[in-house]
Amino acid sequence: MAIECLVLGAGQEVGKSCVVATIAGKRVMFDCGMHMGYHDRRHYPDFARALAAWGALDFTSALSCVVITHFHLDHIGALPYFTEVCGYHGPIYMTYPTKALAPFMLEDYRKVTMDQRGEAEQYSYEDILRCMKKVIPLDLKQTVQVDKDLVIRAYYAGHVLGAAMIYAKAGDAAMVYTGDYNMTPDRHLGAAQIDRLKLDLLITESTYAKTIRDSKHAREREFLKAVHKCVSGGGKVLIPTFALGRAQELCMLLDDYWERMNLKIPIYFSAGLTIQANMYYKMLIGWTSQKIKDSHAVHNSFDFKHVCHFERSFINNPGPCVLFATPGMISGGFSLEAFKKWAPSEKNLITLPGYCVAGTVGHKLMSGKTTKIVLDKDTHIDVRCQIHQLAFSPHTDSKGIMDLTEFLSPKHVILVHGEKPQMAFLKERIESELGMPCFYPANNESVSIPTTHTLKMSTTERFITSCAAEQGKQSLRKRNLIHGTGASEVNGSDEAAAEGVLVMEKHKAPKILCEDELLQVLGMERHLVQFEAMGSSRIEAAVEWELKRAEAADLGSEENE
Amino acid sequence: MARDMCIKVRIEAFAALGKMQRVSEGVLLQSLSKKVIKTDTMSGCIINGQKLPPKLIIPCAAGIFAHGIEDEFYQVRSAACTSLGALAKFSSQYAEKALDLLMDMMNDDTEAVRLQTLQALFHMATYGYLSMQEKHMHMFLGLLVDANALIRNAARKILGLVNLPKLQMFKSAVDGLITSLEKNPEEQDIYGILFSIGKNHGSFSANVAKHLAKEIAMASDGELILDKPRIKALLIVSISAPFSDDKHKKLDIPSIIFSHAVPLLGKVSCALGEEVNQDSLLSYLCHKGGMPFWGSRSISAEFGESESCKIETVEVGNQIENTAKATKCLDRVLVMQAIESILQTVEGAWTMKTSCNICEAQTILRTCNKELKVLAENSSGSVGAFLSFLCEYLVAIRLIVEIWLLIQLDNSQAFGLTSHDILLEKLDISVRRMECCYAGLNRELEVQVLELALLANLLGLSKIGACSKVVLGKLLWVINRLEGLCADGSCELSDFSREIKKAFDANPGDTLIDNIHTLFEFFRLKPTTDFGMLKATSAVLQVCDNNSENPLSYICGLPVGVSFNISLWNISSHHRLWLRMSIGESVQHTFLEFSSFEGNEEVKTCSMVVPLDSTPMAHSFVLRVCLLMECSYGSISTNQGGHGGPSDCVVQLSDELDVYFVRIGQR
Repeated sequence: MAIECLVLGAGQEVGKSCVVATIAGKRVMFDCGMHMGYHDRRHYPDFARALAAWGALDFTSALSCVVITHFHLDHIGALPYFTEVCGYHGPIYMTYPTKALAPFMLEDYRKVTMDQRGEAEQYSYEDILRCMKKVIPLDLKQTVQVDKDLVIRAYYAGHVLGAAMIYAKAGDAAMVYTGDYNMTPDRHLGAAQIDRLKLDLLITESTYAKTIRDSKHAREREFLKAVHKCVSGGGKVLIPTFALGRAQELCMLLDDYWERMNLKIPIYFSAGLTIQANMYYKMLIGWTSQKIKDSHAVHNSFDFKHVCHFERSFINNPGPCVLFATPGMISGGFSLEAFKKWAPSEKNLITLPGYCVAGTVGHKLMSGKTTKIVLDKDTHIDVRCQIHQLAFSPHTDSKGIMDLTEFLSPKHVILVHGEKPQMAFLKERIESELGMPCFYPANNESVSIPTTHTLKMSTTERFITSCAAEQGKQSLRKRNLIHGTGASEVNGSDEAAAEGVLVMEKHKAPKILCEDELLQVLGMERHLVQFEAMGSSRIEAAVEWELKRAEAADLGSEENE
Repeated sequence: MARDMCIKVRIEAFAALGKMQRVSEGVLLQSLSKKVIKTDTMSGCIINGQKLPPKLIIPCAAGIFAHGIEDEFYQVRSAACTSLGALAKFSSQYAEKALDLLMDMMNDDTEAVRLQTLQALFHMATYGYLSMQEKHMHMFLGLLVDANALIRNAARKILGLVNLPKLQMFKSAVDGLITSLEKNPEEQDIYGILFSIGKNHGSFSANVAKHLAKEIAMASDGELILDKPRIKALLIVSISAPFSDDKHKKLDIPSIIFSHAVPLLGKVSCALGEEVNQDSLLSYLCHKGGMPFWGSRSISAEFGESESCKIETVEVGNQIENTAKATKCLDRVLVMQAIESILQTVEGAWTMKTSCNICEAQTILRTCNKELKVLAENSSGSVGAFLSFLCEYLVAIRLIVEIWLLIQLDNSQAFGLTSHDILLEKLDISVRRMECCYAGLNRELEVQVLELALLANLLGLSKIGACSKVVLGKLLWVINRLEGLCADGSCELSDFSREIKKAFDANPGDTLIDNIHTLFEFFRLKPTTDFGMLKATSAVLQVCDNNSENPLSYICGLPVGVSFNISLWNISSHHRLWLRMSIGESVQHTFLEFSSFEGNEEVKTCSMVVPLDSTPMAHSFVLRVCLLMECSYGSISTNQGGHGGPSDCVVQLSDELDVYFVRIGQR
């Protein structure tokens, strides 16, 4: 038996995450994302090709279920297309926050693509709503029986509100698909958390396969220092952000700092979306970090004390302030408007996110000492303000991936959602340091993973006792070495095997016995054969002997692996 | 373990890391950085003396603390911070990097973690592993104006200990403290911190002082207001410079600073703590400030009528130069000067008694006596003894003046116990105390006392009007002692004693009484201030577990034992000590065996059970106990013994103590 793993998207690239795993005959699609970089047919995963490969008539019959890990577009963007256009009508699973926030994301993106690029719409608002109606919400650590054999379970992943890692099991084969996750907590989300599982396969993201990030404290400190310096000098701070996640993270940081330093300068949110998102955050407290969970009874951390009501005209007000504006890359919208007004003053400050798409104002600002930005032939902006780059990434780094992989100790690892060279590097590390076979297939490639077939068999008490005694001796010998794994199973790979006799009889479950017990079970007597040699030496051999029973099945003495 | 999924395991893991006793620098550095450090020096990593191949250790130690301080749970974070600080003692390179991490923790969203971090920093600073760098200053100054008072306080404490390598940092630290002071004027301990910062960075504060001096000089009178926290703070920093440890550099602080710092006396002395007292500090500041030290400003306020006594500032200034010993010296000088001025006043008052203005003289004497008592309470050693001696002396003088007044007013012979008698008795006791209760009286003091005794006896004669044998005997004994003292010619008998001796020789009794007025006029008050190694003898008497609420019990008519704790000061074996226990009129004297006391020359203690022979037939009673010392007046026995008490006259050594008794069954 094997797990067949077809990578439809995010193979050796970042974007349009989509992996279909066939576990013991059950097909599960993990994520259904779109690629933001392309606007042709590479925009979506190649569903049609997959369907052909499976030899199925439609998606509904081919797939057991679709599981979405979180609401980012590269993980959910193709879902309305898949359900409404491709016609998948099977179950879709996602966590409660993802279900709540996904429509906003999809609708926001649909509007942007329609309004700005003038593209033909691939799905309508109604499609989104219809699609969301099919979604079955999941809770953390809730085990869902998709059908008779298939079981899925969600674990907390950090990353964004509602992000989950998915454990799937069918028959004896089990696997985990991580989605995006973060091993270090931030201000509003906790770190990824998972149980010790017995896995055949781990599919993990590898955005930062090679990077080891330093403590984010230093970056926070720099950020606060820059902002404080600017506002105390009477300047205005523009923080272009995306509405969800990063805005809340930064605002919590600032709100806390304001509180401590007793600052009275107003903080504004420009967009209605952010305010709406804040409302969802307030409701979904259970999915945030421990600190917020602990304190929300007293004070909801998303009730920002220092955030004031904002109106568009405030942009011309004198005096210092801090403004969160969308979109994050200053590609348009209100953040561009504010940028036009504030950039010419050297007192002001603009903090840029760590990554901006080429062609946006943000990207131009990041590229170095820009003094003039040409928007179109009539609009020139003198940039004299200070620029601060702030890279807060909600992805785990290389060490985090290694830590999680080591912790889960799967039999095989597949890397997705990363750049090819980095993935190759990480593969080497996983194989050499952890000794696990590792793959990083490209899009539309599939990997087949052999799974262990576990067989249930009964055993006698005597056998267990003798095994335990054997192990005790072993561990005594090894005591001077430090052992990381708490091996509780007899069949642990690095443990010495115990010896026993496997008895398989027809119509009976196989059973493991101790050597001494064999005769008793078979109801036989012990025969002894002696050989007499010519010389003075004498060889003795004791042989167990059994022949008689005609139906007696195979009888062998073997290692019980 | 530090990366375990269970929070409790992580907390314990970090707590255990902080307790490591031996660890190599390589592992420590690795624990801070997630990136695996590749160096050849890693080959010998030693943990618990066991040499382990580096491959085994390094990767698992990688970034342990980097993870720890980013943990989701504040308990883990604070445990990690504590351990970070605790391990700093092993390596300076590590300490430097750990400081970076700890500084970042100041932005943590949990107050407990921030406090714990400051605690760890304080720990590092106390052991001298904390070297502040410029990049940390912004964060630290932010902490000084934190909204939380606990955080501010902890940050300040650290700042008072650290070493700031650059003048710029020093200045910004001082500025930060000043801002903090302006925002929270109630936090007065900032001045103390400013002082210790200034002390730790002598040359920097000298620099600040120079600028401040310029500013003061530039400012016109109205502009520079001492009340402004900024000026106050800068002044404190400036004057702290001379207290700094780097003695090798001569720090010249402009004198104008010191003169301006005088009004801040209270704050400075608070900052200095217990080491220096305010008066000496004041005179030091005045001296440095080039101001004549007007003792009257502080002292005359204390010492009542005494004329303004100018103390030579130069002398005083030289004496203190910031050593504790010198400070004590100065104390003594100040006290002595106060004593001198008081005694001058007393002499003045004595001369006034002849000019009929006796009431006024009395008042002056009484005030002087009070002043001396105040001084005596605050002094110890021989100065203290001398002060208490002088108190006694003044009491005697006052009594003499009072008796003199009575004699002048009413020369008629009255019968029975009059106030005159009482005063005489009081005077007698006072003189006796002076004679007996001070060990190590030098000759001058002894002469002084004996003359008083002479005068007292003379006055005694005046009352009785006829020659009392006892009094005459005493007189003779005193005269002989005086003569004996002056026999070697080192000092002369005063006119007073000589005249008395003459009169006594001529006709003991009548001549004296007749000439009492003239003789009295001969008496000159010449108190000396030379006291040598004077020691006061005294005793403290205590009864265990007894007060009016909690009385001892007894059975009527049967003896009862009372256990005392007795401490004696400066009493030697030739003294005879008695315990006097009195119930109403009945008195019982018990002799105390000197050998039962234990201790050194100065202090001897003993706890003993003294039986009270007879108890009254009453429900309850109060026993009054005091410790007496016999003092021999030659061979003249003045005390009518008869009940087994001391044969000579006695002085009371301790205060009278009340012991409460109640009959058994009455409780």
